[in-house]
Amino acid sequence: MGRIILLLLSVLSAGFSGAQTPIETGRYLATAADCVACHTSSNGRPFVGGRPFHTPFGILYSTNITPDKKTGIGHYTLQDFAASMRRGVGLHGNLYPAMPYTSYYRITDDDIAALYAYFMQLPAVEYVAPKNDLLFPANLRFGLKAWNLAFFDRQPVSEIAGKSPEWQRGNYLVNALGHCGECHTPRNFAFALKRDESLAGNVLEGWDAVDIRPQALQRQGWDRASLRELFRSGASEPGAAFGEMFRVVKHSLSHLSDSDLDAMITYLLDGNETAAEASGDVGGNPGSAADNYPEGRGDFVAYCAACHGREGTGTTIAFAPAMDRNAGVRGENPYNTIAVILRGLPAQRMSRTNARAGMPGFASELSDARVAGLVNFMRTAWGDPGGEVTEDQVAKIREDLRKHGFIGEKK
Amino acid sequence: MAKIPVSMVVNGERVGPVQVDEYTTLLDFLQEYLNLTGTKLGCGIGVCRACTILVEGNDGALEPVRSCINNVGRFNGSSVTTVEGQAQRNSNGEVLALSPVQQAFLRNFSFQCGWCTAGFVNAATALIDDLRRRPVSAGKVEQVIEEALGEHICRCTGYVRYFRAVREVIESTPGLVKEAD
Ligand code: FES
Ligand code: FES
Repeated sequence: MGRIILLLLSVLSAGFSGAQTPIETGRYLATAADCVACHTSSNGRPFVGGRPFHTPFGILYSTNITPDKKTGIGHYTLQDFAASMRRGVGLHGNLYPAMPYTSYYRITDDDIAALYAYFMQLPAVEYVAPKNDLLFPANLRFGLKAWNLAFFDRQPVSEIAGKSPEWQRGNYLVNALGHCGECHTPRNFAFALKRDESLAGNVLEGWDAVDIRPQALQRQGWDRASLRELFRSGASEPGAAFGEMFRVVKHSLSHLSDSDLDAMITYLLDGNETAAEASGDVGGNPGSAADNYPEGRGDFVAYCAACHGREGTGTTIAFAPAMDRNAGVRGENPYNTIAVILRGLPAQRMSRTNARAGMPGFASELSDARVAGLVNFMRTAWGDPGGEVTEDQVAKIREDLRKHGFIGEKK
Repeated sequence: MAKIPVSMVVNGERVGPVQVDEYTTLLDFLQEYLNLTGTKLGCGIGVCRACTILVEGNDGALEPVRSCINNVGRFNGSSVTTVEGQAQRNSNGEVLALSPVQQAFLRNFSFQCGWCTAGFVNAATALIDDLRRRPVSAGKVEQVIEEALGEHICRCTGYVRYFRAVREVIESTPGLVKEAD
């Protein structure tokens, strides 16, 4: 009974109206933590695992977290469950830190209990994921103990003084449940998060999980309304979510309550509520872009303009977003603009009435110099250039994408 | 509106240079300047593949390309094949023989309204061309057809007859299917 009352309290403090059972709370928290994204293979049943993760140390597979006694977590007590969530200690040894226990250790006791209640009543499915295929010495699980000692900095989330309750809730959602930093925070040589560069952006699976610190978001042109729409629908005026972020919106963010989304935005913007151009910073100069990068302009007209518009104004967000003030074009790091041109984007379906067309990639047709020209044209015309993109930069990104199989060999 | 000089080879014939508004899509160029109306506009946003034409790569390989989403500048100097270029013709332009893909589509009653057909014919032709260079084992045939044509939308036929027609061509053309992997 005591626990139930506690849970109800935490539910109320989370801004829900009406009482929820622990299981309902757990389901909501599992959505906020986006467990399904990793613990489901493509076309597989939810939570049975088997999704491959390509790390610099080899391939890891997510595990079965349904309560099957043989192959899942059926034998886990609440304490076992908490240990795996918070410290990466499973019944059969340490978990690899692809499991974001480095973020989940901040989840409160009540929320852990609700998550446990939810997972234990799921239908049990017997399924064993493929064996991990890791390079030495990463294949030795006992090494993880040392890794944890060296890199798992377990500072509790302390309440930051002087911030609103909404901000604190946002901090919890972003850094504990949402584990945003697992993608958006750079990692060191041992693949551990660099805590002092929290949320500063990180290249992963051939995309830049962009810098989402307050000033960076502001520079990219995000404000409260556009972030809210992005988190709800997967796209808004400054741009669209793609790659892993699309899945995050689809399976997690779009299902969160209004108040929780607003709390996350409050935390992310941290007072920088006005997008850059509204605060007097102008978004680009098409005239000087055309003068300085005539080939880039020519390629924009030939390759991009039929969909992204003559003046970069786009068509509709669902089809081809505007390049004028696009968050990717405006962002400091040109990685994604270059990568999208080279590898294209797959079509994406959020729901029956919300889907987006894909984009072909032009890796085999556009040389490094032409891609650089095109990106420089766009950034000068509609972005906030901050330094010219060089042919070498494009070549390095191309090589990186080729090595990991995201684009084919150079023709 | 700025114009650019455009020249390319279309169905084996040199075209241009002609001055064309730089924002003209390849699809519009084919229809409006060359009167090649076999290439159809379906969605206009790169999704349905009705407008697919073929572009010859440096190595001679045929690449299916959507003509609705890129402007003429991309194709300056390229060699392009449209559905009009599939059949064999005599010097007067009269059709002597349809291509194997076209014949198979007719035999199988693969299309109804025909709006998507030019795109299917071209993509299937590119697949045959690719298999000639890189044959696959018999067990892979269905998969490669699906990969090549899976994105093409047809609102009439239910796809089975397209599928059957393409498989027929692959299985009856020597050299496209390997004995074993
Ligand atoms: S008309 Fe070009 S893809 Fe639909
Ligand atoms: S035959 Fe009508 S759309 Fe395919």
